[in-house]
Amino acid sequence: MNAPLIRNERFVQIGAPLLVGVLVLLVWQLTVMAFEVPKYLVPSPVDIGQSLVSDFPSLFNALLMTLKVTFLAFAIAVMVGVAASLLFVQSKWIEISLFPYAVLMQVTPVVAIAPLIIIWVDDTTWALTICAVIVAIFPIISNTTLGLRSVDPNLLSMFRMYRTSRWQELMRLRIPSALPYFFGGLRISSGLALIGAVVAEFVAGTGGAQAGLAYMILQSGYNLQIPKMFAALILITLTGILLFALMVWMSDRALRNWHESALKVEH
Amino acid sequence: MTATKIMPLNPAPDPGPDTREPGTIAPRPVLQVSGVDKIYGNGTVALKGADLTVKQGEFVSLLGPSGCGKSTLLRIMAGLGQVTTGNVRWWEQDYGVVGSRGRKLAFVFQNATLMPWARVRKNVRLPLDLEHAGKSEDVEQKIDDALGMVGLKGFDNSFPRELSGGMQMRASIARAMVTEPNLLLMDEPFGALDEMTRNKLNDDVLKLWKEKGWTIVFVTHSVYEAVYLSSRVVVMAARPGRIVDDIAIEEPYPRSPNFRVSTEFAGYCRQVSQALERASAMGEDRDEERQP
Ligand SMILES: Nc1ncnc2c1ncn2[C@@H]1O[C@H](COP(=O)(O)OP(=O)(O)O)[C@@H](O)[C@H]1O
Ligand SMILES: [Mg+2]
Repeated sequence: MNAPLIRNERFVQIGAPLLVGVLVLLVWQLTVMAFEVPKYLVPSPVDIGQSLVSDFPSLFNALLMTLKVTFLAFAIAVMVGVAASLLFVQSKWIEISLFPYAVLMQVTPVVAIAPLIIIWVDDTTWALTICAVIVAIFPIISNTTLGLRSVDPNLLSMFRMYRTSRWQELMRLRIPSALPYFFGGLRISSGLALIGAVVAEFVAGTGGAQAGLAYMILQSGYNLQIPKMFAALILITLTGILLFALMVWMSDRALRNWHESALKVEH
Repeated sequence: MTATKIMPLNPAPDPGPDTREPGTIAPRPVLQVSGVDKIYGNGTVALKGADLTVKQGEFVSLLGPSGCGKSTLLRIMAGLGQVTTGNVRWWEQDYGVVGSRGRKLAFVFQNATLMPWARVRKNVRLPLDLEHAGKSEDVEQKIDDALGMVGLKGFDNSFPRELSGGMQMRASIARAMVTEPNLLLMDEPFGALDEMTRNKLNDDVLKLWKEKGWTIVFVTHSVYEAVYLSSRVVVMAARPGRIVDDIAIEEPYPRSPNFRVSTEFAGYCRQVSQALERASAMGEDRDEERQP
């Protein structure tokens, strides 16, 4: 019954990386203390923790702002991306004519066009959101399009034999076939939405009530509040990890019964 | 291109399914393939001058080396591929007639070709869903019957990956049966299965074929399977794919596993094997001809 914890796969999966993290923090803390490195150069983990607590109100506000842009951008990227994919698979002509522009959007560095967008769009939240959408949308489009095309040709033959409408073919065959690809796209895109939001904030440099985590980092840098800078960085990273975990969980739930990626292999 | 909808009312009077006693009058042709050539886009001549008539109630096997065009011919018979020249008739009419009462067609692929995301029951009901059959008691009964006949009762809620290869193939056959097809086209359906399962499924298919009055065209590369099952074995040769022999297996049905060990069986197998060897030799001759 009571197998040693070290044999428990789940425990090892969480415990091992956690142990590494704690060790790194410990070494970091001790090194900083031993060499008496000043806080404004390299803050110790304890300094950062203190900042997280004492600057919590302003950091939390900034986090909410960044989250708002991230989620808004992610949602728009998913909706517009899926719509574009559905359009692309309707005809080779549509895909040939429009796909290069999706690629164009992907390869243009967002920092290069963000200033323009910020000038054109008055509302800061929307300006930032648009930048983040541009960064996040491509994986959704390319993965979903690939998925909608990756249909078992024999199943497709069968559908054709029953003279199925395109709509039925889409609903019963193409969309389910595309799900694993779509979820793959979600994983990448969710992280990119966050990166897009942060990069856009950097470029916009929006302060005041609209300030996000990127602005916190900029501001703390100017003021040499390096522990706060690290605290903001940690919040961004945590957000990214949570987003990714959420996507993995969703994809596992949706695919666990049938797709290889979500199967628990029993030996 | 407009999708042809299956009309509930036939403008021409529908002679209906052939219900005449077998043996009294010559059975009607179900499939007529005449002078069919198939050249794929890349120039491969997959079929050259294929002529074949399949009559109501026959069990015809297509036998030949791999790459000789068996699947191509079967797909053409299912209306799934364009012919380059020649023509195909279904129940002495155009493809438009397929799907109407008494003229239903079903296809069983070499792989089970199930939807991995759908449970067995949903997979089996797919053709009915595609025909907009709804969810009446009658429909559910048909699905139950189909699952029962292939021995998958109680597996309604399993996912395909939870089934063995043989069971997946059974589900695939249940899906073909659920529409009560009149013509069943099977492309090496048991090629990937072990011999025990294969023999068992052979007997099951034979039984259903007799019970249901189906017409079956069955692709295989196994001489034994072809002889055991068929009333006729059609032998094909490769490069270009063509029909070279047509051998009647006159052993009466029902055939029991005893037939497998009889001298008649051995005799037929020898005859078919020799035809197959001749067919392969023809392919090789051509290869030699091509060399300088
Ligand atoms: N879609 C295709 N495009 C081009 N060539 C094909 C295609 N399908 C089959 N062929 C070729 O046609 C020939 C006959 O193939 P097939 O009908 O699958 O043979 P079999 O089922 O007897 O093994 C082969 O040479 C094969 O390579
Ligand atoms: Mg084949």
